[in-house]
Amino acid sequence: MSAYLRLDGLTKRYDDTLAADGVSLDIALGEMIVLLGPSGCGKTTTLRIIAGFVEASSGTILLEGRPIGDLPAHRRDMGMVFQNYALFPHLSVARNVAFGLEMRRMPRAERDARVAEMLRLVKLDHSGSRLPRHLSGGQQQRVAIARALAIHPKVLLLDEPLSNLDAELRQEVAREIRLLQQDRALTTIMVTHDQQEAMTMADRLVVMRDGRVQQVGRQEDLYERPLTPFVARFIGNSNLIAGDLTNGARFRTAGGTDIRLSGSYAGSGKATIALRPERIGLSAETGGARMQGQVLMSAYMGAVVEHVVMLDAHTQVVTRGPSFGDGATSRFPAGTRVGLTWFGSAECVFDEKDRPMGRVSTIERIESNA
Amino acid sequence: MKPSPAIAFLGPATCVVALLLVAPLGLLARYSLNKYDPTELMIEAATPANYLRFFTEAFYWDVMRTTIVVALLVTCLCLLLGLPLAYRLARTTSRWKSAMMLVVVLPLFIGSTVRTVGWMILFAQRGVLDSLSVWLFGLHIDLMYTPSAVVIGTLSVNLPFMVLTLQSVFEGIDSRLEEAAQGLGAAPGRAFWKIVWPLALPGVGIAAVLSFILGMNAYATPVLLGGPRFQMMAPLLFWEFNTNNNWPFSAALGFILMATTLLLTTLANVLIPRRYRA
Amino acid sequence: MTERAADWAGRATNRLLLLLACLAIFLPLVLTLYLSVFNEQMIVFPPHGYTLAWYGQIVGKFGGAIWTSLRIALTAVALSLFIGVPAGIGLSRYRFTGRDALGTFLLSPLTIPGIAIGLAIYVLAVWIEERTGIELAGSIRLLIMAHVLITMPWVVRLCLASLTNHERTTEEAAASLGANPLMVLLRVTLPAMRPGIVAAALFAFIVSFENLELNLFLVAPGLTTLPVAVLQYLQYHIDPLVAAVAVAQMVVVGAALLLLDRFVRLGQVL
Repeated sequence: MSAYLRLDGLTKRYDDTLAADGVSLDIALGEMIVLLGPSGCGKTTTLRIIAGFVEASSGTILLEGRPIGDLPAHRRDMGMVFQNYALFPHLSVARNVAFGLEMRRMPRAERDARVAEMLRLVKLDHSGSRLPRHLSGGQQQRVAIARALAIHPKVLLLDEPLSNLDAELRQEVAREIRLLQQDRALTTIMVTHDQQEAMTMADRLVVMRDGRVQQVGRQEDLYERPLTPFVARFIGNSNLIAGDLTNGARFRTAGGTDIRLSGSYAGSGKATIALRPERIGLSAETGGARMQGQVLMSAYMGAVVEHVVMLDAHTQVVTRGPSFGDGATSRFPAGTRVGLTWFGSAECVFDEKDRPMGRVSTIERIESNA
Repeated sequence: MKPSPAIAFLGPATCVVALLLVAPLGLLARYSLNKYDPTELMIEAATPANYLRFFTEAFYWDVMRTTIVVALLVTCLCLLLGLPLAYRLARTTSRWKSAMMLVVVLPLFIGSTVRTVGWMILFAQRGVLDSLSVWLFGLHIDLMYTPSAVVIGTLSVNLPFMVLTLQSVFEGIDSRLEEAAQGLGAAPGRAFWKIVWPLALPGVGIAAVLSFILGMNAYATPVLLGGPRFQMMAPLLFWEFNTNNNWPFSAALGFILMATTLLLTTLANVLIPRRYRA
Repeated sequence: MTERAADWAGRATNRLLLLLACLAIFLPLVLTLYLSVFNEQMIVFPPHGYTLAWYGQIVGKFGGAIWTSLRIALTAVALSLFIGVPAGIGLSRYRFTGRDALGTFLLSPLTIPGIAIGLAIYVLAVWIEERTGIELAGSIRLLIMAHVLITMPWVVRLCLASLTNHERTTEEAAASLGANPLMVLLRVTLPAMRPGIVAAALFAFIVSFENLELNLFLVAPGLTTLPVAVLQYLQYHIDPLVAAVAVAQMVVVGAALLLLDRFVRLGQVL
């Protein structure tokens, strides 16, 4: 039970808003954690509390078992990469990378060697004497990483490190950072609002909203077993259907459509179903379907075909299925009545307070005639 | 682009500056080459005598030297006192920030005459300082009509200006640079001197030059706190004009003052490099 | 010295400098306020009592000067808006060779010492008077013109600033919807500039009201502005009355500034 870095109840209060609200997390040595959430969810505040730029209103941070909350930023040995890189514009690339070593009064020879090593690591061996403004965005970002790594930080902190890069470059750099992190077993915390990035890079993800941690887990955990409708929608998109659940198995949407669930649940009352578009099957056969609707529009997107199906005046559902051949076979024209089906594990049901409802039994088979 | 609408928009303003600034200064330039006569007052001539007089007579050298020394001293003190305050203001995240800025800016607009009143109360015989000193040590302090009083008074006039300029200079430097420096192990003091200061230097230089110019052209403070025997350039100019009726010489003084100001501004623009960009 | 001690010394110095800076800026203002309520004829410490009576005497002694200053400031503001606002629009809208130079030219009254401008304008006024007989020197007309010269650059500057984020496309949209150039100006451009124009007016008012150097040369007996009157008064005596006048001026300027702050961020325009 000894985490390398432990956050315990970190809270940051600004006037009357809570930027971080009881953030707790155990991070293992060499682990890559990604804090994910929409803007204003508290992920950056949490990162800045760890770095020491923001003082937590309450809560503790333990690094290797020792509290570091009272240490000023410059004694924490955290390597931070800023969103805009924050390279010192008046210092050359090499001097930027050397800065942290100068602060530690490292002997000249050792320092030069370390700087050279770092520049080689980020493939900028020949740019040491240039000024940051003469580098491309991608190169600047690598300087920022080299600068943070040069001090051999106890934890590497990345604040939206890819957001200022071109879309093409982003995937490539994301993989590079991940490889570097794994190679050197760097304990890393990254902040992003891009779930694609988070999925690619993380060992574990932390989804945040309104200053609170919504769910912590591996990619599979979050995708398959979201703990809140918010996570279900934020990770990989879900249709959220609101309605009433009676007797644990009968669901009726606010617009009056009946849905035959694939399981029965402990409880009833107002509830929300989360369904992933790619887990819903469409067929012209409506009889045995879990619900029915009318196709509103369809789009052929290459790898997949998307349909928007209207269940009733208040409810629309997006489905996404593989395209076969010319599309004609997998595409329904607007106006077609279709049946929608899915397998048992595809649906997640949340109660009135957005807590997942326990599944009592699974009803896998659907009788053709109800 | 068609020229006609631009003329309609810009013509009147151009005329104002041409008629009320260029034309008067032109005539003043002409007058500065005339000769002064105690009875005729001004005789048409084309002589550099007025300028030569300024640069050859020891009295005027002294006035120029006093003016420069006061302006220089004031600028140094302004930097010393203005830097911490400006930096604090630029980096505060307090919700009172704009209120604090307003309080610092307010004196800037009150006018040097009115602001000097307070210092006169402090320095005057039987004023605050004098009374306190008598009460504490039994000693009279008479700072009124001393160079120190002028320096303090001018400092007080220039300081809000300096703070405001420096504040915007610091504001223009991304605070994440300091965070980055601190994250790399620099204590706040070192982060300031190693990162912020080199980046702020051009702006600080411009602020210093502006403060120096303001100090050189000061009128009310030297007149009120320096007294009749303390001479600086602007009061001297008015005295030559008003008391001696020597228009040609005061015209020459005006141009010497202007030339110094312009020279300094130009030098500042040429010598001070443009700000680094990230 | 250890790092701790150096750290402590650094912070102590910093505190001391902050304190001194605040003293240098605010001490005179506080002292002026203090003296203005003395129940004394002159400075005596400590005073025998306090009174607000001095404020009642302001109008009697300085009323004329205040009225003159107000008249000049208000007229100069109106004129400089009338001339400066179009200039600001023109500078931001049209691209022509020499545009930067013209901008510098229009702002140049700000960089030339006021004392030289004052002398020059007076000298030209006398020259014109000698040749045409038009009475200029010592007239309020001349004072107003001179004040337009120093207030107009501020108007231009503030209008330029208020137009930097202005979307020219809104004007194009108006034109494509059928508005003629005048309508575009009146219905789109000027409304977009309104905060800047209000700020410019207040700013110009303050600049005119507190000016001393120009006035020195242009005032005449019976036509004295407040700063000159205060200066002349102070050269002979300092008493609670003049402190009360000073406080009154601070209040007027402070109020204008508070208003101004609602329209622009001061740090951005100075």
